[in-house]
Amino acid sequence: MFFLKMSLGAVQGLFQKPFRKNEILQQLYFVGNGSLLIIVFCVCFAAVVTILESSFHMKMVIQNDSMVPGFAALLILRELGVVVTALLLTSRVGAGFAAEVGSMQVTEQVDALKMLGIDPVQYLVSPRLIACILGSLFLVIVANLTCLFCAMLVSENMLGYSAQMFLTSMRRFVSFQDLIFAMIKGVVFGTVIPLVSCYFGFFCKPGADGVGKATTQSVVFSSITIIVLDFVLSYTFSFFY
Amino acid sequence: MISLLNKIINEIGLSLLFLKEILNTLFKTPCKSHLIYEQIWNVTMESFATTALAGFFVGAIMTVQFTLQMNEFGALGYLGGLATSGTIREVGPLLIAFMLSGKVGAFTSAELGTMRVTEQIDAIRCLGANPIQEIILPRFLGIIISAFFLLGIGLLMSILGGMFLGSLFAGVNPEEYVRHIPTILALPSIFSGLVKCFCFAVVLATICTYKGYTTTGGAKGVGRSVVSTAVTTMICIVVFDWLTSYIADIVIRTIQESA
Repeated sequence: MFFLKMSLGAVQGLFQKPFRKNEILQQLYFVGNGSLLIIVFCVCFAAVVTILESSFHMKMVIQNDSMVPGFAALLILRELGVVVTALLLTSRVGAGFAAEVGSMQVTEQVDALKMLGIDPVQYLVSPRLIACILGSLFLVIVANLTCLFCAMLVSENMLGYSAQMFLTSMRRFVSFQDLIFAMIKGVVFGTVIPLVSCYFGFFCKPGADGVGKATTQSVVFSSITIIVLDFVLSYTFSFFY
Repeated sequence: MISLLNKIINEIGLSLLFLKEILNTLFKTPCKSHLIYEQIWNVTMESFATTALAGFFVGAIMTVQFTLQMNEFGALGYLGGLATSGTIREVGPLLIAFMLSGKVGAFTSAELGTMRVTEQIDAIRCLGANPIQEIILPRFLGIIISAFFLLGIGLLMSILGGMFLGSLFAGVNPEEYVRHIPTILALPSIFSGLVKCFCFAVVLATICTYKGYTTTGGAKGVGRSVVSTAVTTMICIVVFDWLTSYIADIVIRTIQESA
């Protein structure tokens, strides 16, 4: 119940004065710039593995791997790029939010905010929400493109496809709407992460133990939510292809 | 940039030294098996439901995606085999291990970090006991065994999820789905999936005990080490995923050539 109230409050807070531009920019820096390197690194390795595995399966079923580029690009754009990005964001950004809000709650800084007449949801959750949505949107785009580029390099070096062949084969399978759907997924996951972690942060039990527990719980809960939502969204999008 | 690289190499070396110390303790001192059983029970019970749920949905997602692609070729018969093989060899262990690094890894490093900053670990050393033998070793072994078991459960659940969605979404009835699994999923694939699970379990156990054990700087430090545990574990899991795939590929190729 509080979760719904908090979410509504956070969305409302975005359109209320004062508009906290500096705070939003700071959070955007934390979400975007801080996670960029890790995400790009992980996604590159995921791309290599995807290419190798799809080639293995292709050879098994249809005896050659001529459709690997298209197949791998499909898998990357529709699933892997977004989910890996979102899960990494959860454990880096979500855990950070939960620990921050949780220790504010424990040290009674949240109550102090209330005393000063500042709505803690608008002060804490709204900037993080908008920053995380924007950040994950951009990160998803970057991650997908890096992943595809890396897949292209790998298939050129290990499987012997030229870049042109890769792109031609890719175009037969995926279209621009796949990137749009990936972006929609990114926005949804970017909304889930800050809301869940701030919720667990607000309900943090006193003491250092409580903060640790809130952090763990928020990471677990958002990861599960992300996987379930990913399934729901994939199922929904499958009617539009 | 250089300093970052320096830091990364330093961290790798320190964690390997820590691993060496754990293994030394394992082989040189008597093993306290009741502590290990306790840890196995704790970790497994705490994460069982989460892992099973995650596994189920991972299987379901993979089936939906493969159905879309198989439909284009009219090869729905292969659905069971391909989706299961793809999940077990690659996507399943990766995503479920991500899940576990958030759950088990974060929990253990928070626990050990709190022990470290409240000086309980120093207290154990004061009492003349070896903290690595008393605290770290049971957790290390317990996490390896139960994470391996949990990953296996997750993979089984993913087959179930795939079967369920296969009949719901693609109209492939469960018998047909299961019947095609052995045609694609050969023994080496299962073996490589299990090897992956084992590697991820070792990585997870090493990093979370190391990060927890070396926590400094009070309550804030605990939070920092929890976050860095989750992030480092994920990065290492992705790297090891690539490494095991690469090695398995070479091994399978060699076997096929010699046969």
